[in-house]
Amino acid sequence: MMQALRRRIKVYGAFAAMAPKDYFAYTAWVWVEFIAQFLTMTIFVHFWRAVYANTSTLNGLNLPQTLNYIMLAQVLAPLVQTRTIFQFGFLIQNGQMAIELLRPVDFQARVLVDTLGWLGMYALLKTPLLLIAVILFGLQLPTSPAVWLAFGILLVLGRAVVFYFDWIFACLAFYTTETWGLSVVRVGVATFFSGILIPIAMMPGWLQQLAGAMPFAQAIYVPTSLLSGIASLADAPRVLLIQLGWLIALAILSRAVFNVAIRKVTVQGG
Amino acid sequence: MPIIQAENLSKVFRIPHKDPGVAGAFKAVLRPRFEDKVAVNGISFSVEPGEIVGYIGVNGAGKSTTIKMLTGILMPTRGNVQVLGRDPHRQRVANARDIGVVFGQRSQLWWDLAFIESLNLVAKIYEVPPARYKQLLDQFAETLELGELLRVPIRNMSLGQKMRAELAATLIHAPRIVYLDEPTIGLDLIVKERIREFIKQQNRAAGTTVILTTHDLGDIEELCPRVIIIDAGALIYDGPISTIKARFGKYREITFETLGDASACAVPPGAEIVGAEPRKLTLRFDRTLTTASQVAQAVMNAIEVKDFSLAEPDLASVIKQIYGGALREPVTP
Amino acid sequence: MRRYLTLYWYFLLQRFKILLEYRANFMIGASSTIILQIAGLLTIWVVMGQIPDLNGWGFDEVLLVYGLITLAKSINHMFADNLWTIGWSYVRSGQFDRFLVRPIDPLFHLLADRFCHDGIGNFLVGAALVAKSTASLGIAWTPFNALYLAVAVLSGGAIFIALNLITATSVFWITESIPVTQVIFNTHEFAQYPLTIYHRGIQILLTWVLPYGLASFYPASFLLGREVGALAWLSPVVALALLVIAFRVWLFGLRHYSGTGS
Ligand SMILES: Nc1ncnc2c1ncn2[C@@H]1O[C@H](COP(=O)(O)OP(=O)(O)O)[C@@H](O)[C@H]1O
Ligand SMILES: [Mg+2]
Repeated sequence: MMQALRRRIKVYGAFAAMAPKDYFAYTAWVWVEFIAQFLTMTIFVHFWRAVYANTSTLNGLNLPQTLNYIMLAQVLAPLVQTRTIFQFGFLIQNGQMAIELLRPVDFQARVLVDTLGWLGMYALLKTPLLLIAVILFGLQLPTSPAVWLAFGILLVLGRAVVFYFDWIFACLAFYTTETWGLSVVRVGVATFFSGILIPIAMMPGWLQQLAGAMPFAQAIYVPTSLLSGIASLADAPRVLLIQLGWLIALAILSRAVFNVAIRKVTVQGG
Repeated sequence: MPIIQAENLSKVFRIPHKDPGVAGAFKAVLRPRFEDKVAVNGISFSVEPGEIVGYIGVNGAGKSTTIKMLTGILMPTRGNVQVLGRDPHRQRVANARDIGVVFGQRSQLWWDLAFIESLNLVAKIYEVPPARYKQLLDQFAETLELGELLRVPIRNMSLGQKMRAELAATLIHAPRIVYLDEPTIGLDLIVKERIREFIKQQNRAAGTTVILTTHDLGDIEELCPRVIIIDAGALIYDGPISTIKARFGKYREITFETLGDASACAVPPGAEIVGAEPRKLTLRFDRTLTTASQVAQAVMNAIEVKDFSLAEPDLASVIKQIYGGALREPVTP
Repeated sequence: MRRYLTLYWYFLLQRFKILLEYRANFMIGASSTIILQIAGLLTIWVVMGQIPDLNGWGFDEVLLVYGLITLAKSINHMFADNLWTIGWSYVRSGQFDRFLVRPIDPLFHLLADRFCHDGIGNFLVGAALVAKSTASLGIAWTPFNALYLAVAVLSGGAIFIALNLITATSVFWITESIPVTQVIFNTHEFAQYPLTIYHRGIQILLTWVLPYGLASFYPASFLLGREVGALAWLSPVVALALLVIAFRVWLFGLRHYSGTGS
């Protein structure tokens, strides 16, 4: 039993270690994403400064708070992009899905490890962006290690929540070949409701409710609020509980949905 | 007057050098390094109108790269090439009207379109006159048995159907030269047979010149009176297939089915073991050094033989020997 | 030229046949971009609802700027989307080699190969925004204004296409051009808002280097009667010049491709 578990962890570990290498193989992306994020950050900073030109607070947030939040959210923004549905579409169309399922490691667990494995790399890669934001736009980062720790936990769990959601969503690829349009829909919705563009607290009530009903805020708004100082550390346990609820529910659901959808492949033979 | 003339043709690729591991990947980001890869190395040959030439070599030998230079896709690093009196790269568009190209595994047809729609589009691109188009289409439909395929989208076709469709689309503008880069890869025997028949017929009836790369020796034996063999980018043989066969034809293979353990048998002089299983022994011998009866005698004296058979070497084993180095010294036909 | 137009028409017909066959995909694709746009618009709506104006620009004025850039972008999206995918779906798959053995211009072939229906969504959003904002702002649709708008949008589209063509050419060196295209393309987002909210350097960048501003801010300013001088008239000239430059860059890249094959 223990041995099997250890072997498992080792295999998953190998996949996790692979993620950064894959990423570097795509050298250009590292730079591009970086520059793109920097550009968007610049736009947002100017936009929000113009917004605050004639007012000192909006929905209880002042300019430094909002800027802090917006910049950090921008640093994290690529985390709600998704390749899962694309990958599914690709695997299904090439008949590779069956092969993935035949491998001795659980398919979903492998992709999850891959996704989370690359979070570590991500943190490393985006540190310079944070520094630039501090220097150019006066981003203020917390000094308390407890805040950083809580942020780390919320981020990892939040990313996992989105992962499980994507897994469910990607099962649509079993029923349609239009995976590109679907990813765009998914990214569009997530971009707004994760809180990348505006802090969710600033939205009107009905939009806030919508955002709360979707999982995307878990990966951006929840951790970013804490790190930017909009939310306090005291609130973290409550937030964490909600997040765990999301995580468990979506994890179970994702397995169930996948098992139903996969019949499409086994019945039709790809 | 040759229709294709290649002189000292070479292609060198510059490929990025990567060290293994994360550190290596980092280094590649910060300071990329390159190394030269010689894909084609000083090849010269010429092809007369109406010839069918087999261009063969192991994977990575440089076949596709050569084809890309002949078709004008790539510019040679050194040397030069003339096709129909033109530089295929500089006069790419003019050249394109006169040639047809099949790249084995990728299709030129639109995945989601019914085959006939794809064909119409191709005909429009090549400006095939409508009357001519209709005539060729009828002809191809018959010889390639396309009839029921015309309404089928490419995505729903089997590999063999796809290749037949591909060939029709490649020849619909009646090109004077066709380049076929591994056209029979992955196909079953019946489809292969039909495709070979079609190529032969096009060559005979329209005088189409054909350059064919393949791993299938059946293709070569049935289609190509002449072969060009390349290895690691360099030409190692250019001449009739018969010369190769004659040169390696002095070998014969003899296979024994034995009752006892075949490995107990000593190898007779002038022969060598090609295959050995517990109850089966295959020997190859040089006809100029020994005879079949001498070899058989020696084996039969050593062990009880149930049955034996004598075979001429097929082209496959000949080619294997050539790739294995038997032709390191280029032979002149 | 006539030959290419008829050929383009032919490609387009075939493309629509495919799209009609996959009607569901067509709808998803075309509406997906609308959803993406709604995210951005909701942000403007939420924020502008809480402040009187953005640097002196009212909600509808901002929408006009946003709508113009969206229309220009949609032209690029519909007719030149293959410049994005040239790397993975053409060069790396070997399909691009096919274009090079055909007797038509490879760039034409690339663009004609896929009309992108997703762009229709962008077009509709842009058109709706311009219609809504001009109506609210009382900008009359005189023949002059209509013509001015048409030229502005087409020039804007050409600016998008030219810049994407230049960046797509990098595919011949790095086998995947999306990253490069993405960086340059992303700067158009600056031009979704009135340029006056930015630092002077950014304004110069968006006017003279990556002139996306000519597709939105300057024409909008002109229509709103805000003084921008000759810059209101510059977009067709700049668009044409950029197209010429871009085509030369592309030819240069093509030569490099046949030199290296990568
Ligand atoms: N675009 C390219 N860039 C770098 N190396 C290449 C490129 N194309 C081919 N090669 C290399 O050149 C050699 C010959 O390739 P190719 O002509 O495709 O061989 P073949 O068709 O005989 O299998 C191979 O080693 C291959 O890796
Ligand atoms: Mg090859």
